[in-house]
Amino acid sequence: MTNLLVLREQLKRFYGKYEVYITPALKFLLAFVSFAMINQTIGYMSALNSMAIVLILALLCSFLPMNLTVVLAAGVALAHLYAFSLECAVVALAVFLLMFILYFRFSPKDTVVVLLTPLFFILKIPYVVPIAMGLIGTPASAVSVACGVIVYYVIGYMSESASVLNTFDAEGAVEKFRYIIDGVLGNKTMLMVVAAFAVTIIVVYFIRRLSVDYAWTIAIITGALVDILILLFGDLMFNTNVSIVGLIFGSVISVLLIKVLEFFVFNVDYSRTEMVQFEDDEYYYYVKAVPKNTVATPEKRVKTIRVPDKAVNHPQKNAESRRTSK
Amino acid sequence: MLNEERIKLMTKMASYEANEGKRNVAIGSYFRGDYISLQVIKSIISATIAFAICFALFVFYDFEVFMSDIYKMDLLSLGKNVLFSYVVFTAGYALLSYLVFTRRYSKAKRSLKMYYNNLKKLAYLYDKEGKK
Repeated sequence: MTNLLVLREQLKRFYGKYEVYITPALKFLLAFVSFAMINQTIGYMSALNSMAIVLILALLCSFLPMNLTVVLAAGVALAHLYAFSLECAVVALAVFLLMFILYFRFSPKDTVVVLLTPLFFILKIPYVVPIAMGLIGTPASAVSVACGVIVYYVIGYMSESASVLNTFDAEGAVEKFRYIIDGVLGNKTMLMVVAAFAVTIIVVYFIRRLSVDYAWTIAIITGALVDILILLFGDLMFNTNVSIVGLIFGSVISVLLIKVLEFFVFNVDYSRTEMVQFEDDEYYYYVKAVPKNTVATPEKRVKTIRVPDKAVNHPQKNAESRRTSK
Repeated sequence: MLNEERIKLMTKMASYEANEGKRNVAIGSYFRGDYISLQVIKSIISATIAFAICFALFVFYDFEVFMSDIYKMDLLSLGKNVLFSYVVFTAGYALLSYLVFTRRYSKAKRSLKMYYNNLKKLAYLYDKEGKK
């Protein structure tokens, strides 16, 4: 444990020292992975599919604000969909516009979740997102996560039903449009996942703010269980075809990942909890103070030992001096 | 002589100005009513655009039915319905943004007050040093 804490301190110090380089590098990585994933799922526009374009866009994102990365990713997705079919692009544009106009007007700090949620879906561990946002966000994060889920399912639906959409002839624009809208609005799985994630975020948020010992751990486990239960219940009710094994394994892996996050964000020593009471003119205070786990990192010290010139044994000089003394 | 207390205070204030302070100073330059009404007006405009998008999708979804029935249907009642849902939607959204921005304004004011207190403290520290 001590070693891990030392490692954490060292990482912190490393980040503090090289923040100027690390932050853009991480932004670049996120943007690069997102664009690559978008290209892989719906890479219909060949002009955008080349590695050079992806690299240039990701480089651009590395020094632009995070929110612009989200906008740019939405733009790339729209361009691909436009190359595939105009109707898809119109529906996706409407979804993105509603999201940007209605929700991001409040300029929440967790806009990036909209990008991260689909990424975790592709990695098969989307259950990380609601628990993590419950731990480090606010209940309002539920809306950001919901936006991410909707984006993933809308684009996923379009890429899945590509073969069906191709069978519509050019005249059937309205039918095609109707088919897409029906598919998007009637997607029970999507609604179920949005509901499950929203409930999970709120449950996790309220439990982790309780003043009981190990509130974070309790919140994580309860959150994961609530998530699993709601998704299974939804599966029974609406036949959403959730893979039960994937759900359970994904949740277990998510909980483990979240524990790592907890180690970095909230690491306290409950055994040294102190309860204190005091008063001032207006209030009585009942304070529970839980100390953070910290260690002093061992500092590497380079000690230079200077040897005075006289003390060094020069065999030649010595021999000479001996000769002269003779 | 370097005054450690003053330098600490200045560093803290500079970091505040660079990060969260920037937004708060922008908010603080408005009167309360002005800021909130401006934000609510912006919200109403965005709600109008959003509603227009939804309505356009709705019309396009039932385009053929809509076109063939346009002479038969009761346009007045349809207009009433659309108007009613528009008003409900916009009012709901405006109310929500009123609540959010009211809270945001009072938060920004509070944090700015602390910042100005620090400024006063800084001036005081300078004064004290000048007298020495």
